[in-house]
Amino acid sequence: MRPELKEVQLLEAYLQGRLTEEQQLDVAVRLLWDQDWQQKLAAQKRAYQALRLAGRQQLRRELDALYVRLFG
Amino acid sequence: MNATPSLSMDVALITDRDRTLERIYAKTFPMVRHYVKERGGTTEDAKDIFHEAMILFYEKTVQEQLTLTSSVSTYLMGICKNLWRQELDKRTRQLPLTESQAETVWEPPTGGEEPAPLKLMTFVEQLGDTCKSILVSFYYFGQRLEQIAAQHGYQNIRTATVQKYKCLERLRKAVGHLSIENFKP
Repeated sequence: MRPELKEVQLLEAYLQGRLTEEQQLDVAVRLLWDQDWQQKLAAQKRAYQALRLAGRQQLRRELDALYVRLFG
Repeated sequence: MNATPSLSMDVALITDRDRTLERIYAKTFPMVRHYVKERGGTTEDAKDIFHEAMILFYEKTVQEQLTLTSSVSTYLMGICKNLWRQELDKRTRQLPLTESQAETVWEPPTGGEEPAPLKLMTFVEQLGDTCKSILVSFYYFGQRLEQIAAQHGYQNIRTATVQKYKCLERLRKAVGHLSIENFKP
């Protein structure tokens, strides 16, 4: 995997608290001074938020279709 | 359908969503409709609150935050009764009907700098069908990478993993511009 993707993976694991204690701390410290990382982390959180909204919308559509099929 | 809680409900919901949702729907919706209609609502009202309840149920199940001590139907009826009570409350106070109870119930209030939900969702749409499907299946619907790899014809989980991160990186870039724009005065 190219380094950019590894970084996405690392920040994901950090947000989920899946890193070792030492690694969590490393990332947390880097986030204190690295503005580029701060922005990437903020964007990544927003990406997950967008996916939750899109998923919810899809589920709503599936439920609407089920309603029509079963009771419409 | 067995009335006792099934240990594999979460698994069935994730690996066979269509059929599992259909089974729950067919069994529970008539009860919800009956309840709501008995209490001054319409079939449309019943459908709206039932869908909100199903969304809450799905999200909690996938996030493994749900330990069922009763049947799925009983659990869903409980949520629906609550939602209908809130809805009636709102109507007596003559507040306008909101589009989504799930959002008002479960999401923290967002600050003025937050992008509108529709705008955020547009970025997911712009990823194209494959990326959208991979990301939503994994992050929202809780599907395992094995299933996603099989659905998209990837040779193995590793390929699917790389693809997933590529798609996520694209989405992150797209919404990243949005974050920076939002910091501007």
